[in-house]
Amino acid sequence: MKFKDKLKDSKFLITAELYPPKGTDTSAFLRRAASLKSAGAVDAVNVTDNQRASMRAGALAMCSILLKNGIEPILQLTSRDRNRIALQTELLSANILGVENVLIISGDHPRFGEYPNVKMVYDLDTVQLIKTTQILESGYDLAGKKLNGIPKFCVGAAINPSADPQELQIAMFRKKVLAGAEFFQTQIIFDILKFKGFFNRIKMKGIKVIAGVPLLTSPKFMGFLQSLPGVEIPKETQNRINSAADPLAEGIEICAQTIKELRKFADGVHIIAIGKEEYIPTILKKSLEA
Amino acid sequence: MILTSKKPQEEVLASLQDSGTIFVIGCASCAARSKTGDQKAVDDMKELLLSKGKQVAGTLVLPAACNLQTVEKYLAKNEDFAKADAVLILACGTGVQTVGDIFPQKTIAAGLNSICISTSGSQNKRFCSVCGHCVLSFTQGLCQKTRCPKGLVNGPCGGFVGGKCEVDDKQDCVWVLIYEKLKKHGKADEFIKSFISPL
Ligand code: SF4
Ligand code: SF4
Repeated sequence: MKFKDKLKDSKFLITAELYPPKGTDTSAFLRRAASLKSAGAVDAVNVTDNQRASMRAGALAMCSILLKNGIEPILQLTSRDRNRIALQTELLSANILGVENVLIISGDHPRFGEYPNVKMVYDLDTVQLIKTTQILESGYDLAGKKLNGIPKFCVGAAINPSADPQELQIAMFRKKVLAGAEFFQTQIIFDILKFKGFFNRIKMKGIKVIAGVPLLTSPKFMGFLQSLPGVEIPKETQNRINSAADPLAEGIEICAQTIKELRKFADGVHIIAIGKEEYIPTILKKSLEA
Repeated sequence: MILTSKKPQEEVLASLQDSGTIFVIGCASCAARSKTGDQKAVDDMKELLLSKGKQVAGTLVLPAACNLQTVEKYLAKNEDFAKADAVLILACGTGVQTVGDIFPQKTIAAGLNSICISTSGSQNKRFCSVCGHCVLSFTQGLCQKTRCPKGLVNGPCGGFVGGKCEVDDKQDCVWVLIYEKLKKHGKADEFIKSFISPL
């Protein structure tokens, strides 16, 4: 069953994400992809688009490789680095290569990346880019020209449960749905109860919200996450990672327990393991244990 | 007014590397209000140039460097200006180009960076980046193209925390301000249901 069809199903969805290589060596990417495939339990895998505004190989090339390896990809697409011509091109190219799932996001600001003074594009914003997929699906491009061969997409968007004021983020959720978003993946969450409140507030028939959950691997990585705006890690989780003899093993436990809780009410989980995807099968198995 | 900032000294000096005699121009309008092109800024620049062994033919603060008639009137008969090979202009990009247009034989150096259009009352508040497609009626008069670092036109990213911007936590997320204002005017629902189309 395709990811798009699964969105209409009651199945608890599981997605993960991989980042393209910096350079042309795809071996690490392929190794991580293989461990996700062996899990068999991952419904789709996001490929990030120059995350943290730093240069890497193209997400679409890696999505195409995933497809060839029997993994359904979700192409992340930001409007930060491309104008409307290049964005439409990327969307058509994706379809030609068999990639239908796209996650449309605004992208990290270059201030935190490798090129702090780079010229940002944002010719279209997130809402407009979501709408653009719909326009292309109607058989026309943004210039009103008829397309020869019509693409089909399954369009996702991002939402941050920790954004504050939350009311405005919820307004954006509704706005993105009206523009054409079919599913959502959230920024990382730690506090299940808080997320549950948010989830119930935004609930909308037919729109799946997949909760982003990180794998905490070390006190250092946890410190990095905490330095990001809006990230608040509960004291108990912090203590568990900081006092663990094996922080990675503890991180796997925490991640599995979080997913177990999410399985009770949420639509799915998006596991962010940043290079440690090989542990995702274990995490998923543990999350199903009684 | 046009908001300007001073270029780094090294950059200014590098642009005048091969110039013989230099005339320094300030602007008593916007650049003076930014304190980037007032008499003091011009005097400081003269000091700097002299300390680096440059020859300064003279200085003048124009009433408005962007006004063709004024520039012509004040400079055409200025003897010190006539002697200079190069002009260093402490004004916005329009001021620099006005002087350059009227006196094509002079080598031109710009001493300031033009940032955006601001209001005279408040230093450093970025208001308008002259985009040519004004959207202020959608936002109740707050320019997201200028005040959101990503220039998102239809609503915020997910990065605002406590109403502050993810890119700079000392700055308000302009979308939070816009949303508050839209709510006050009973337009929150309209905000959700409509957007500036990509077409
Ligand atoms: S939208 Fe903003 S930048 Fe564009 S003209 Fe209006 S105020 Fe200026
Ligand atoms: S937090 Fe607000 S002002 Fe900052 S980039 Fe996001 S939308 Fe723009």
